[in-house]
Amino acid sequence: MNLKFLPCLLFVLLLVTSCSSTPVFKEYETVFQVGDQQEWATKDLNDQDWKKRKIVVPDGKIFWSRTKIDILKTPDSLHPYGLQLDVYGEYEVFWDGVLVGKNGNPGQEAIDDPGGKMWATFSLPAQLTEAGEHLLALRSSLYYFPSHTGIYDMEIAYYDALLTNRLIESSYMHLFAGAFLIASFYFLFLFLSNKKEYATLVFSISCLLFFLLILAEFIKAYMPIHYSTHVIRLQIIGILMLGISYLIPFYFSMQFPLPKRKLLLAIYAAILLYIFLSRYVFELTANNMALSMWLFSFGIVVFGVYKKRKGARLVLLTLLLSVPIVFVTPFNKSLFAGFSLILLGMFYLLSLRIKEQRLAYENSLVQSTRLRLELLKKNIQPHFLMNTLTSLIDWVEESPKKGVLFIEALAKEFDLFNQIENQTLIPISQEIALCRTHLEIMEYRKEINYSWVEVGIDLEQKIPPAILHTLLENGITHSLPLEDNSIKFKLVFEANSHYKCYTFLTFATRVRQARSDREEGTGLKYIKARLTESYQSKWDLTSEPTDQGWKNTIKIYS
Amino acid sequence: MNILIIEDESRIAKRIERMTRDIFGNALQSLTHINTLHEALNFIKNNALDLVLLDLNLNGDNGFDLLTTAVSESFHTIVISAYKDQALTAFEHGVLDFVPKPFNRDRLEQAFNRAITKEKSENHQIKVLAIKKRGRIQLIPIEDLLYIKGAGPYTELFLKDGTKELHDKSLEKLEQLLSHAFERIHKSYLVKMSEIREIIVESGSKYMAKLKNGEGIPIGRTKYKDIKAKWV
Repeated sequence: MNLKFLPCLLFVLLLVTSCSSTPVFKEYETVFQVGDQQEWATKDLNDQDWKKRKIVVPDGKIFWSRTKIDILKTPDSLHPYGLQLDVYGEYEVFWDGVLVGKNGNPGQEAIDDPGGKMWATFSLPAQLTEAGEHLLALRSSLYYFPSHTGIYDMEIAYYDALLTNRLIESSYMHLFAGAFLIASFYFLFLFLSNKKEYATLVFSISCLLFFLLILAEFIKAYMPIHYSTHVIRLQIIGILMLGISYLIPFYFSMQFPLPKRKLLLAIYAAILLYIFLSRYVFELTANNMALSMWLFSFGIVVFGVYKKRKGARLVLLTLLLSVPIVFVTPFNKSLFAGFSLILLGMFYLLSLRIKEQRLAYENSLVQSTRLRLELLKKNIQPHFLMNTLTSLIDWVEESPKKGVLFIEALAKEFDLFNQIENQTLIPISQEIALCRTHLEIMEYRKEINYSWVEVGIDLEQKIPPAILHTLLENGITHSLPLEDNSIKFKLVFEANSHYKCYTFLTFATRVRQARSDREEGTGLKYIKARLTESYQSKWDLTSEPTDQGWKNTIKIYS
Repeated sequence: MNILIIEDESRIAKRIERMTRDIFGNALQSLTHINTLHEALNFIKNNALDLVLLDLNLNGDNGFDLLTTAVSESFHTIVISAYKDQALTAFEHGVLDFVPKPFNRDRLEQAFNRAITKEKSENHQIKVLAIKKRGRIQLIPIEDLLYIKGAGPYTELFLKDGTKELHDKSLEKLEQLLSHAFERIHKSYLVKMSEIREIIVESGSKYMAKLKNGEGIPIGRTKYKDIKAKWV
């Protein structure tokens, strides 16, 4: 991934989200009056004694609101202005005393089905929109949310632009949402193919939630929503925000592990839930959740940077970049721009991890090949081969019959190695046969009486090839015979529901090592690599001296 | 001949033993077999030996320590090893011969002959001389060496920096090991040929080799012709 490209993209995103055009109108304070008189629509009415504060109008009673508006620029001829309102309730719209539109049936709400919608657009007669003072009067009723009086948002612009701009905006946002939907599916499938990678699942869910959040936010542009049901949309958005706000720091905590992770995440969940449940102003709740999400993520990522985790610095940059965006752009856009920036950062992290995994996989292939070679080499490495051949020559020269038996034992060991050469797990019986043959060979070489005892072997078990053989080799190499010129090896198998355990005991006189700080031998490295290959990290290997010789244990956890 | 065999493979040790007895016959005074590194080091310290036959890989230990100790002693060392790739290291440290396993009687006899007949070693690879100094082994690069002077059973190594070190090997044994670059110009001196600047004939048919650092070393009357020919 070309990182130089990313900041440019972010910058463009910033520009796109921050542009807006100059308004053609100026809105004054809205005043209210309960009651219903037709002359309240007129432009020149004295409304000095009307209430300035928002009022509560119960039982769906009719009330009026008046808003003085200055049109700053006369529209081009034959190109009328329109008026867009974001207002709770059902209402009639009067512009300079003229009825220009109707949204539902004010006053009839208790009897009629709900009519009208939260966001309505009305065209304004061209002759009434010359530059100068105008008056917007609304004759409303608010049966469902009697306290939600007032104009939440208003826009005056060319009528066709008002209708299309919103659609254009939401079509772009839906394109955007689609990208996250696809990402969500892609990472879900990735997760399904490798169920250990929870980070991909979390990312997939985050993308899906983000997709739904965009949908829920912009659905209002093309789907009429009655003001009584609008709260459902807000609740959906709130829940989605809650989910995203939790999952993003959760994801970062997976990528940049921190101490006491579970505790911190639990505390964070509690904070989010508190904010979510104590909501009273929707936008404030969403903002608080977004803010705590940002702060918590920031903390985790800063910790990641401190610990020099891969990718942490770029993610920190995206987090920091999301701050100016939030300040520059209006709420709904800033949320999306900020979120998408952070999601991009998460995406980048995931791509890093996927790259790491690929490298690890390639490494494991190389490792497997190397282990196979090492296994093959056991029989042709000079120490084994040349010493064996030298002894063999001697036996052939001195006692040809024994020499033949020696050759047969050697042939058997070579044959066994050929059988197991390309396997990662072999039956324990085969491994034991290998060990016994090896002892036979070593008896001819070292002229020591080797004996082999097994206890509790379960013949159904499998084991990585030549690991006991390697322990045996170590035992032979590092031991001197007891008084009676013997060395005894004992293999004990124990199993329970938690683990399987092989104990390999050597009864012999230990050789005094010339140097105490011997580095780990290639033999133990081979065993460890084989165990990792087959059991990942679910194994233990111990190797320690005992009074009677040496003790190795291999524990394999289930 | 007092010979020590250091080998942890019993069958191979017996083979070496048998062949050694066979080759040396009555000339053999003692023959000892040891199979651990620790015992071997002790034995070398406390016994007078003429020849050590050494396997470099004992009980999983790298025999490098044993090798440097052995070559610093007065006796010659012959390595018998399964690892042919150790031959170079062994020669660099000044072993008399390297016998790769598997070996036969002829090859062993050839190695022994080098030791008995004082035949010059074909070893051109020797890079260092190991000396014992304050209980530790120190490696002196051959390139730092100017000449060697015999001092009874020992030798004195004269180095380029003007210092002098003592070696346990006799002049004869070192001559065997260093034959490719050094010449015995006098019964008490072994000199690196490339260090000789000129050969001076003094009154009374005394011959001197003038070294590059100005030192003069006597040349034996009988050796003069030979040296003169080789030097030109």
